[in-house]
Amino acid sequence: MPEPYGPDPRDEGLGISDWERSDGWRADFDPPAPADSPAPPALPAWPRPRPRPQYDPPEDPRPAPPGAPPSDPQRFAGPRAGEPRADDLPGGGPHGGPHDRPHNAARAEPAVPDWSVVEVGTPGHVFEARPPAGSPYRPDTVVDGWSTDLVTMRLACVRGYGHRYSGTPREDDCAVAVHEATGSVVFAVADGVSAAPQSATGAALASRGAVTDLLRQLDADVPALDWTHVVRTAAWSLVARAAGGREPESAYAEEAERLYATTLVAGVVRADRYGVPEVHLVQVGDSGAWLLDRGDGRYRRLLATKDSHGREVLSSGVTPLPRVPSPLAQQSVALGPSSVLLVGTDGFGDALGDGEGAVGRLFHRGLSAPPPVLGFAHLLDFSRETFDDDRTLLAVWPRHLLPEPRR
Amino acid sequence: MSDNRGSLLPVYVLADESGSMTPHLGELNKGLQSLYETMLTEPMAAAKVRLTVLGFADDVATYTELADLRSEYKPPELSTRGSTSYAAAFTAVLNRLPHDIGRLKAEGYRVHRPAVFLLSDGMPNAGQDWRTPHRQLCDRATTPAAPNIVACGIGGASPEVMLEVASTAEFALVSKPAADLGKAISSFFVALTKSMVESGRSLAAGNAELIVTKPEGFSMAIDEV
Repeated sequence: MPEPYGPDPRDEGLGISDWERSDGWRADFDPPAPADSPAPPALPAWPRPRPRPQYDPPEDPRPAPPGAPPSDPQRFAGPRAGEPRADDLPGGGPHGGPHDRPHNAARAEPAVPDWSVVEVGTPGHVFEARPPAGSPYRPDTVVDGWSTDLVTMRLACVRGYGHRYSGTPREDDCAVAVHEATGSVVFAVADGVSAAPQSATGAALASRGAVTDLLRQLDADVPALDWTHVVRTAAWSLVARAAGGREPESAYAEEAERLYATTLVAGVVRADRYGVPEVHLVQVGDSGAWLLDRGDGRYRRLLATKDSHGREVLSSGVTPLPRVPSPLAQQSVALGPSSVLLVGTDGFGDALGDGEGAVGRLFHRGLSAPPPVLGFAHLLDFSRETFDDDRTLLAVWPRHLLPEPRR
Repeated sequence: MSDNRGSLLPVYVLADESGSMTPHLGELNKGLQSLYETMLTEPMAAAKVRLTVLGFADDVATYTELADLRSEYKPPELSTRGSTSYAAAFTAVLNRLPHDIGRLKAEGYRVHRPAVFLLSDGMPNAGQDWRTPHRQLCDRATTPAAPNIVACGIGGASPEVMLEVASTAEFALVSKPAADLGKAISSFFVALTKSMVESGRSLAAGNAELIVTKPEGFSMAIDEV
């Protein structure tokens, strides 16, 4: 008899793990594969929640008291007949439990997840990363994820394969926070300009500066967020760093541009008067934002980014912080129930292109529902030759997509 | 449906194969070999570069076309002959550029502005109009993918001509007087290799400007004028 949640024939051999379909709704959004397209890249079998490891107590060396029942080796081996296992309970796993696991598998050793890199088309060169030179400590990858009552958020910032190969640090950075009083989610992603020798520091300062300023403005309950102030604060954080405690002056602005130049997209997701999430964004440089329609898989570009459409050759000119463009590129949009907000640096955006290629299809399938937090980073770390820049991606879904109850 | 396989930098080497280069043929071929060997050890940068090697004299010999240096183990062997026709060299690039860009785009790549590295030891043939094809090549209205041209002159090459050939003054370089020509050729290829690696890396880092490394023993042509 087939398992009630057995493999979907469409997924045969693709390694799609059961968290995607365990909610029962995903199939509604599963895009039909184009008849003539090559096999889509496999989604990884994410590391997923397992039941708590069974407890096998050591043998009691003392003799059993008279009249005691014989030792029961099954005593701690798992739930008793008729009892649900932790992962069978609704919400037993954050993103769908392994419903298709046979009940007699309760004693099996936990499987080591498939860590293999997600390959898109021709993968890049395979190698072991070199450590980033210099200080401060700069980890390869930053991952975050959680839900508020309004939205579910996933964020990952991964060092590009190029930087891993050359032993240089990740130049992208990001920050995200909740403003507790309003339930607003504020965020920023930044892409340090590689020509600036300390752009990693610049990206960190700018993203944190923007988020801090947004939180302050929300604290002050301003009637309308001042986006110019957000960008100026981020720019100021670079100049202040260059000034090093001295009185900032124009010479330090030039020094800041030389050392810390970085792009920035900052934004907020908050409930409108009807309780629908709405998004506000501001942009400096060529990092981008998109709305992914979970139904048809189309990506709507929310901010202009570099691309070659209509041009013979690619243009990559970018005006980064600490320069503050005027007017600032801004965008406001509602986050509908079938949409996913994506905010990312060009390491993601260039690979996505117009979203109609293999990377767009992969992320449509992978982000139709919020994946596990580490799975999100795993997906973003996909390998495709020539795409080896740092990648940062923030994804925000309306909260209703997860089965777990609100707390 | 459109797929995006990445962004490439087409690089063209225009090597002077006129008779006066005969004593330095060994250095020329050794330089190419070193370029190939280095790019094999830089697969991440090499993945984003496509190399075309053209030798020019009276005519133009095509040695490689948009070669992916991750899988090219044997460099071409240049040979010398005839005179120094810049007209033939620039016409060859002018004619092949739209075709090359179209081919890469058809393969799903986006294309950065191409780079041409010219190495020459002599004056262009007198009486030949090389400026017309050169102007067409550099005019972005005529040639939307007009390349950045780096002109390196050695030996008898004129700084003024290098300045005319290069797309900007910073890209016009001449070997210092009394420089050993063999060493100058060698340093040209070292600088070319470094430029290709650095440009490939900078494409990876989202900063797609052409990085030009000045060859050792060269100076800016503008300094000589």
